[in-house]
Amino acid sequence: MSSNGIGRLTGKVAVVTGAGSRGEIIGNGQATALLFAREGCKVLLVDSEEENLSRTFRKISDQGGEASFYVGDVSNELDCQKMVELAVNTYGHLNILHNNVGVGGSGTVVEVEAKQWDHVMDVNVKSMMLTSKYAIPEIASSGGGTVINISSISAIRPRGLTPYTVSKGAVIALTKAMAVDHAADKVRVNCILPGPIFSSMTSVNMTEEVRELRRISSPMGIEGSPMDIANAALYLASDESRWVTGISLIVDGGVSLMSPQR
Amino acid sequence: MRLQNKVSIVTGGASGMGAAESALFASEGSNVVVADMKIEDGMEVVDEIKSTGGNAIFMELDVTDEERWEVVVADVLKQFGTIDILVNNAGISGSYQPDIMSLEAYDRLMNVNSRGVFLGMRSVLPTMCESGSGSIVNISSISGIVGQSYVHMGYNASKGAVRIMTKSAAVQYAEKGIRVNSVHPGIMPPMVSSVGTADPETRKIMLEDVPMNRVGLVGEVANAVLFLASDEASYITGAELPVDGGLTAR
Repeated sequence: MSSNGIGRLTGKVAVVTGAGSRGEIIGNGQATALLFAREGCKVLLVDSEEENLSRTFRKISDQGGEASFYVGDVSNELDCQKMVELAVNTYGHLNILHNNVGVGGSGTVVEVEAKQWDHVMDVNVKSMMLTSKYAIPEIASSGGGTVINISSISAIRPRGLTPYTVSKGAVIALTKAMAVDHAADKVRVNCILPGPIFSSMTSVNMTEEVRELRRISSPMGIEGSPMDIANAALYLASDESRWVTGISLIVDGGVSLMSPQR
Repeated sequence: MRLQNKVSIVTGGASGMGAAESALFASEGSNVVVADMKIEDGMEVVDEIKSTGGNAIFMELDVTDEERWEVVVADVLKQFGTIDILVNNAGISGSYQPDIMSLEAYDRLMNVNSRGVFLGMRSVLPTMCESGSGSIVNISSISGIVGQSYVHMGYNASKGAVRIMTKSAAVQYAEKGIRVNSVHPGIMPPMVSSVGTADPETRKIMLEDVPMNRVGLVGEVANAVLFLASDEASYITGAELPVDGGLTAR
């Protein structure tokens, strides 16, 4: 973990969706926004809950970073348009879109209600299409940049969370398609597949027993931290990865390498 | 400094990607052991690193030579006391001509590109296990992920072996605190050992497969290796990171 920023994103502007956290436990989007800001990036924080957003905003301000926020719903097209306009109007250009928003979705196809299925697809997939639809032209006209989509190892290792698994699989396909479509616009598109991360989202109602199970499910025997996702996002957001596009970067302590215990 | 005080061995460090990795690691604070068969080129890389204030030494190494590996590891431990990072970068090109089905080429590709990586891991793992930490980055290739019309299939086989060996090592050594990952460069500038793939007409066709429509730079691969080698990737093991301008996304 880098302790002090060394300006790896100096001069860049990012939109980070799902940048809030529900409480004191840090979220993946929050960690990413904090790290981007620490590395010199100006960040527009986006979330549907103002209270959650303000926690992240305060942390960035406290560490001397530059950020502003927008309360909106990324599954709503108008909000996505406004979000991108705000970033460009505030900071003059846009280089990075970090699509972190997502919701869980459990059950089999037999169990799941069609309405719930649609909701998961709207929040996890359609949102990334909508944010990208408005962000990509701005990133391209800013001289290029990157889009980072958060998928999940659930996409490649299903286990009873079928709507979630399918939505995260779609994120991988969307990432590759966007990478191919927009390479000529100098927009790189990659995704991250987090494993068992102890975060603002996953910690809700998690018993110590379940937490321990998640820890030992990885060959490394440890759970991940949102900072692990943030570090991967930083690499993909920075110019260090300027020839990297269309990839799925797995950050899971090796969980997806092994055949499951059955 | 992202690799402050770490001790790294970079095989094939005397030229190309290996030289770029060595220089980048040194600039991030690592003591770098440039290991290569090419003594003069390797010494030049070391001199260059030293002239910019970095720490590096050269050690002669043929990655297929089991005994040499033992000597190198013992020497590094004597000089630095530990080995934190191994970059298995040494490899030979798959552009074997004129006989694309040459058995001799197959054996040589597997010997250097695959067996060499295994020997490297085998040589450093005991000391990494002892210290309870370590990061190994194996240089595979997009050739370990997709088939290609213009390289010897032994090259694909050797790089595919590196890809899956990486995952095996990751699973087997995770509990010892050792991470093992692979980097998969795409179409790069021709290697020293390139023949057919160095032909301008062939290269033009090769580039048509790359969404970003250009070859990669050695520094771009080095950046990926640095990320995986560093503690920033502390929860990443067994992962494959293509650096290919989008070739494998297509």
